[in-house]
Amino acid sequence: MSKTDAAAMAEVSAFYLRYYDALDEMRLEEWPEFFLEDCLYRVVSRENYEQGLRLSTIYAESRGMLKDRVVGLRKTQVYAPRYYRRFPSPALIRSSDDESIKAEHNLLIAQTMQDKQSDIVLSARCYDTLVQTDDGLMIESREVVYDSEMIPNSLIYPA
Amino acid sequence: MAAAEHQWPEDADGRVPYWVYTDKDVYQKELEKIWYGPHWLYAALECEIPNPGDYKTTTLGEKPVIVVRDEDGEVRVVENRCAHRGLKLCQNRHGNESDFVCPYHQWSFDLKGNLLGVPFRRGVKGQGGMPKDFDPKENGLNKLNVEVVNGVVWASFDHNLPPFREYVGERFWKHYTRVYDGRKLELLGYNRQHIPGNWKLMQENIKDPYHAGLLHVFFVTFGLFRADQKSAVDIDDEGRNAILISRKGEKEQNEVTGDLRQFQSDLQLSDPRILDVVHEFPGEETVGMITMFPSVILQQQTNSLSTRQIVPKGPGGFDFHWTHWTYADDTEEMKLRRTRQANLFGPAGLVSADDGEVIEFAQQGFAASEEQAAVVTMGGREKDPTDHMVTEAAIRGMYGYWRKVMGYE
Repeated sequence: MSKTDAAAMAEVSAFYLRYYDALDEMRLEEWPEFFLEDCLYRVVSRENYEQGLRLSTIYAESRGMLKDRVVGLRKTQVYAPRYYRRFPSPALIRSSDDESIKAEHNLLIAQTMQDKQSDIVLSARCYDTLVQTDDGLMIESREVVYDSEMIPNSLIYPA
Repeated sequence: MAAAEHQWPEDADGRVPYWVYTDKDVYQKELEKIWYGPHWLYAALECEIPNPGDYKTTTLGEKPVIVVRDEDGEVRVVENRCAHRGLKLCQNRHGNESDFVCPYHQWSFDLKGNLLGVPFRRGVKGQGGMPKDFDPKENGLNKLNVEVVNGVVWASFDHNLPPFREYVGERFWKHYTRVYDGRKLELLGYNRQHIPGNWKLMQENIKDPYHAGLLHVFFVTFGLFRADQKSAVDIDDEGRNAILISRKGEKEQNEVTGDLRQFQSDLQLSDPRILDVVHEFPGEETVGMITMFPSVILQQQTNSLSTRQIVPKGPGGFDFHWTHWTYADDTEEMKLRRTRQANLFGPAGLVSADDGEVIEFAQQGFAASEEQAAVVTMGGREKDPTDHMVTEAAIRGMYGYWRKVMGYE
């Protein structure tokens, strides 16, 4: 591994630490700021993904749509209280050049509801394209492809 | 408590006792009388299995089935249960086969469900084998009654029920063909969720326009579904199937939104493309939600089209399979529009996630108080179609029919 590779890995890994910290700590308003204004965000079942079916469980084509998701969570949606905690694996850098990095990692999201044992709401692989900007790395596209065949009722918070 | 010991409340059309949602014996009887009884059950979209040999597996009631297109192009539905030792023989969600072979002893069945071959049927070196009276014709897979209606595959364990059009009646045939008009359908994809509540609660949810303008703040805030909009509930003569019809309005504040505690008049979408609705069906209505008892909801919510299949899993839960689709001849723009609007629905839906959650809350409330009863008198005690949303008539209609089928009259 060259020093540049090591530097890239360190940067990517620091990026994900900040990303998942914002989500786990429920600073949801920060979440869209990790994305470019013009971006793609999909949470999609592996079944749809592998068959090339376009339907997603969550689908956003802009930072604005991600902001609207947060507004929904904060202002309009009705759901039981719960904690989400995300367990990402270290990222694998598939490819990188001066402009962008293609990175993949596994993601497990544990859900804990009142009076219940924790369970797994999502078991997924994330396929991300990160780009260098003046503000550091940002997400150009993120596809969270989940194996989970049956969502335990609702998928409330983002992955 | 055994099913026979339960009494339906005296206020027969005004109350629904909690035991209908919790009792195991009642649930078993529902499987027999309703799910395996004289009802057309949703099995698939025809576009999921376009070519001969294409199949998908699904579950009707609790029974696994295979929906397959045979060599002649005809759609068949057979129980996914080997005639030999009862295995669920096909484990894949979908695929293409020329026959189905059970992995255990390799009994094979053709695409119509007929038994093709039994290894060592005549024995080996004169020993063993099946007895002379073994008749392959009597040992095929269980074949269901099937009707394909404008792109949707309907199946029933009952071979004597009327054809689909006669079964739903002319009024509902008109509702059905408003969206399923014979144009070719194309699959957009699936969402699947397990909702920990009784399966009937999902039917009730979509038979209940009263909740839509209250629970779903997103709908109300952005004018998609509100109690003062021109709307109607139609109920078939049996009471089992219903449709909610509504006309989208604009975002506004009025006496109705004033009654809604969480109305968010100051909310704006950062990217309103999710609500880029176009008018596409005849008439002024923008919503047509059909509840087909017991197995499916046929959704037309503005431009979002889907079938929502109910698979019961005991009295306390059901799997909910969403199949979103588009017309094959839609423009790319329209396919994208439907894909965007799907954000409102499914397990992460800005609207539908609310429903899964409140259904779970309902089941939590019922569990410890079986002999209590829910109130369903909004709009009176009648079970007739109405031209407004402030009613629970379609829920009363469903329980009128349920009591008849289940013998609680």
